[in-house]
Order: sequence, then C-alpha cells, then structure tokens
Amino acid sequence: MKPMLDRRHCLIASLVVAGTGLPLHRAFAQAVEKASAFVQQMGDKLVGIVNGAQSAADKRRALTQILEASVDVDGIARFCLGRFWRLATPDQQKRYLAAFHEVLVTNISSKLGEYKGVKLTVQRGRPQDDEAIVTTIVDRPNNPPTNVDWVIEQPTAAPRIIDVIAEGTSLRLTQRQDYASYLTRNNNNVDALINAMQQQTARSG
Amino acid sequence: MRAVVRRCRPVRFILLAACVSLAGGLAGCATPPPADDPDAVADFRQTNDPLEPTNRVFYKINDTLDTYALKPAAQAYRFVLPERVRTGIHNVLDNLGGPVRLTNDTLEGKPRRAGDTAMRFLINSTAGVGGIFDVAKSVGYPNHDTDFALTLANWNVPEGPFLFLPVLGPSSPRDVTGFAADMVINPFTWIARGQRVFTITSWTKTVLGALDARAEFLDAIDNVKKTALDPYATFRSLYRQNRAGKLETLRADNRATIPIWWPQAVSAQAASGGGK
Repeated sequence: MKPMLDRRHCLIASLVVAGTGLPLHRAFAQAVEKASAFVQQMGDKLVGIVNGAQSAADKRRALTQILEASVDVDGIARFCLGRFWRLATPDQQKRYLAAFHEVLVTNISSKLGEYKGVKLTVQRGRPQDDEAIVTTIVDRPNNPPTNVDWVIEQPTAAPRIIDVIAEGTSLRLTQRQDYASYLTRNNNNVDALINAMQQQTARSG
Repeated sequence: MRAVVRRCRPVRFILLAACVSLAGGLAGCATPPPADDPDAVADFRQTNDPLEPTNRVFYKINDTLDTYALKPAAQAYRFVLPERVRTGIHNVLDNLGGPVRLTNDTLEGKPRRAGDTAMRFLINSTAGVGGIFDVAKSVGYPNHDTDFALTLANWNVPEGPFLFLPVLGPSSPRDVTGFAADMVINPFTWIARGQRVFTITSWTKTVLGALDARAEFLDAIDNVKKTALDPYATFRSLYRQNRAGKLETLRADNRATIPIWWPQAVSAQAASGGGK
C-alpha cells in the first residue's frame, strides 16, 4: 500500500510541477528570447553609430538617444552611489543624476574611436532571478574577441539594460566601488563627488 | 595589470622578497570606520583592504614605473612589430605556460581541462612550430587560463586582504603564494639552470612577456586612468572581479570525461537522466 501512495504522491507532485512549471518556463524562455532580440537590435544600432561616417557631435547625439531609450541610467546611477544615495539631499540627488548621465555618454563616446570596425554577435540568453542575461562576443580589429554579457531588467516589460559585464567585470559594480572609494577619501561629501564627475566630463568631453 | 607582470618570473621573485620586507617597514593600516555606522563598517569589510595606505604607496611607485618605462616600451613594441609577429610571440609564450597549466588543471580535478592543455601543448609545440601558431584551437582544443592561486581558490583557501605589490601589481596573499608555487612547478625554471643560454633565454622571455602583456592592455589601462575618479580603487575592483570570474568559469567547467569507445548517445542519456 505504502509504495502505491508514494507513487501517487510522485504523480501528483509531477503534475503540479508540470502544470505550473511549464508555462512559467515558457514565459521565461519567451522573455529571454525577447531580451536577446532587444540586445541584437540595440547592438546593431550601436555598431551602426560606431562605424558610421557622421561627425563626432552627431554620433554623441545618436548615442545619447540610444542610451536614454534602452538603458536604465537612473537605476544604474542610484546603484553606483550605494548607501550615499540615502544620505544625499534631494538637490544633491538631482545634480548627481544629471552628472551621471553626462559621465556615461562622455565615457562611451570617447571610446567610439577605438571601436572602429567593431562587430557584435549575440550568442545566447539565459534567465537569472528577475533578469535576463544575454551573452555577446565583441570583435574588433587588433584585439582578441571579448565576452560581453548584457543584463536586462524584467524582460517581460519593456526591456532595459541595467548592467554590462565585460570579461567577468561588471561595469556598474566597478563604478560603484570607484565612487565609494572617492567618497571615503573625501569625507563622504557627495558635493565633492559631483564636482569631480563634472570636471571629469569637462576634461574628456 | 597583473597579467602584465605574470610572466616576469625571476625579476618578480626578487622584487617580491624586497617588497615584503619593505611593506613590513611601512606597515600603514587603514582606519576602520566607527562601529556605530554599520553601513560604513560593511563597506569597509567588503573592500577588504586593511593595508590600503601602504598599497597606495606601491600603486604610485608602479604607476610611475609604468608611465616612464613599461608603457612607452609597450607602445614601441606595438609600433615596431607587425600584428602577426606579435601574435606569434604571444602564442610561443602562452605555449611555454602549458606544463604549469596542466599541473594546475590536474590539481583542480578538471580532467577535460587537463586534456585540452595537454593536447594544446603537444599540437602547438609540433604542428604549431614551437608554439608560434595556435593550431590546437582550430581543431577543438580551446585555451583557458589557470594558475596555482586559482587551484588554491578551488580548494577553498581564503583570498586574504588585498595587496598591491611593486612590479607585481594587484594581488592577495593567496595569489602571491600561487605565483611562487607556479614558478616552482614550471619545468622551464629548472631546465639548464645556470647556463649562459638559459640566462639569455629566460631574460628574453621575461622582457617579451612583459611587453606582450602590457601592449594588450594599453587601451584598457589608459581608459581606466582617464575615466576613474580613483584609479587605484577601480583597478582593485577590476582585479578582484576578474579573478572571481576566472574561478567561477573554472568551477562551472564540469564537462564529463567519456571515453571515445563508449556509446556516446547512451552515456549522454544516462547523464541527463541522472539529474531526475
């Protein structure tokens, strides 16, 4: 009798798993597919800008558009400030966000020249918690191919990039640790950080 | 940056001894934040850099050395030699690291990785003309990075605090130990030791290794210096993430060793069925 019961339990359990797990799995798979398509599309646009013949100013404008549309810049900015986000005044938060948008665009557009002739190939996507991770290979002349993972937030809604992981190093985590260290060395003064960010953009912009 | 100095074995060893004694003399310690600020304490622990003031001194020294010696030399190297020659040199140096990698793959208990390394060394040393051409890659034996520090990490030996060492660059007690062990493991450290030919070859290898590695990171390092507000902290973060990533890749590589004469389809089924 007992083994029977066990078998029935197993059957019920597997039915439950099949009933709930399968659609969930399918939803995830769809979301991941969507994220991969999104990265492909955005990658094509980026590569188009990098290899295009427009002027530097036009490139910067086009890049800003892509970033604002497909990257959760505010979310990344908050992440990068870490615990200091809560310590900052609303005014500081506002100025910090503005500075962060500038820093991001400037840093990326200053690298565009190096990436001439770049090629981006989407490899595969996989779900991780609420996010989807899309792996790509970035090929550029005179450089070994680089593994770049794009972390896409809640791929069921409008997908947006929340992190880029190049060869195992997370861009937002590196930035967060850079800011944290700067703040620690400058009496946790958020104004000093904002000033430094603005100066940095002015230098390389 | 670590990779830059990975290949400068003999020089590194002497400097290592020198800097360890020097570090003992300077011994600057970072002041921990007050205990009533738990967030700050958590940050401090996570940074795990209690020797930060000393580390920063060495970072400055290295940075100066790099700016005036290594970087211009690497730029010249890239300017003078065509890419194909540089790739050949890179491949030869990489191939010479084969025995060390094989030992570590084995100690890590990764038979497929050890197989890849052994085949790479055999194929590239022969068909690849002493390692100049990476033939093995195109016939299905891709390269991977490993060292004794990763072996230790795979054995769950803790990393210890962050260290920034002269010439060696970013490191940790575990990585320094691994570096010394790799030198001992390396047969090329011992073959023909003391002979003139050996001295010349090993110096050439050291110099080329440094140039090759630095040239590879010319743009990347420039970018960090240009965009980071605190380059030291950024290099620290990048170094650690890079090492953690390598460990993760190593641990995730659990390809099964299935003998070639074994019915492949059956064993694949058994492997997937085993998980249920």
